[in-house]
Amino acid sequence: MSRLKHISIVIILAFLGLIMLLDLNKIPNQFEYANSIYHHITNNAVGETGSLNFVTAILYDYRAYDSMGESTIIFGAVSGIVLLLSRKTLPVSSHGLSFIVKRTYGMLTPFIFLFSVYIIAHGHLSPGGGFQGGVILGAISIIFSIVYGSEFDYKRYTPTTKTLLETSGALLFIGIGLIGIIYSGSFLSNLNILNSEPGSLLSAGSIPFINLGIGFKIGAGLAIIFYSMIQKTFKEEASL
Amino acid sequence: MINHIVFIFIFLLGFYAILVKKSLIKMVIGLNIMEGAIFYWFIAITDRGGIIPIVQSTQVAFNLNDPIPQALILTGIVIGASTSAFLLTLIIELNKFTDSTNPDQLGGIIED
Repeated sequence: MSRLKHISIVIILAFLGLIMLLDLNKIPNQFEYANSIYHHITNNAVGETGSLNFVTAILYDYRAYDSMGESTIIFGAVSGIVLLLSRKTLPVSSHGLSFIVKRTYGMLTPFIFLFSVYIIAHGHLSPGGGFQGGVILGAISIIFSIVYGSEFDYKRYTPTTKTLLETSGALLFIGIGLIGIIYSGSFLSNLNILNSEPGSLLSAGSIPFINLGIGFKIGAGLAIIFYSMIQKTFKEEASL
Repeated sequence: MINHIVFIFIFLLGFYAILVKKSLIKMVIGLNIMEGAIFYWFIAITDRGGIIPIVQSTQVAFNLNDPIPQALILTGIVIGASTSAFLLTLIIELNKFTDSTNPDQLGGIIED
């Protein structure tokens, strides 16, 4: 790239930044309205949903329909990636690390799984939820591929299992939504029959179950994405 | 004010990477930097100086931060990760047909 083009791009970007700064300064500092949705949620969310974590209450109760669209986007991304990177043979991409690393990770795996389940199941009580715990769940499969080799990951945790987990997570989400139609007449309404006192593990109606479905869906989806990518790249390297 | 300046700097840094860099992967990184700038800005300007929006018990808590932008940004992060993964997959597929990730040297896919 020529120096003149480079300098002109920097000047144009600086000009753009100045215009953006002038525009953004018009945004008021305080967003205070008397009857804003902020006041409604902070005052009534515990009573209406039973969830102590208001972010979870918004994600899986007030805007649960939007979360379903979000998980559909992930499903679309996973489908596209698997479609693009589909292959016929299974090359062994790596043979794993040393014995010490394998043993250490073998002892650590149950605790990583427990931690992810804890994050998912306590999504309505503490920071966390289905998305965050699902990422930890997906990391287990990714570390399997690195530490034990991709063949081990393929045998222990086959793509069929991953697909089954992802689909069952999505079906759990939609199933809870359909039960909501029968129970109170609207899709994905909170199932208040499951409520106990807010603060206990099985409170907040259907939110923990939606969290569980989302968690398995995200974890399996990430594992599928990583699996598809690493198979393909290592195959390219082997052919060189 | 400082939030706006930091946001604009990081955002334009990502935009600069997309405009100038000669590798598709670096362009995806630039796109991620732009996303990160927007996430930061959206959380920062809605900060009320309160505590995290998680209460201890059922009684009404005061001085909470706004939970709505946090929920929106959580959605945005997940979608950003999905689009990044899909873009990287397209680059991997493209690399099968050409030996370069430089968009200037692509010049169409070669049929074999």
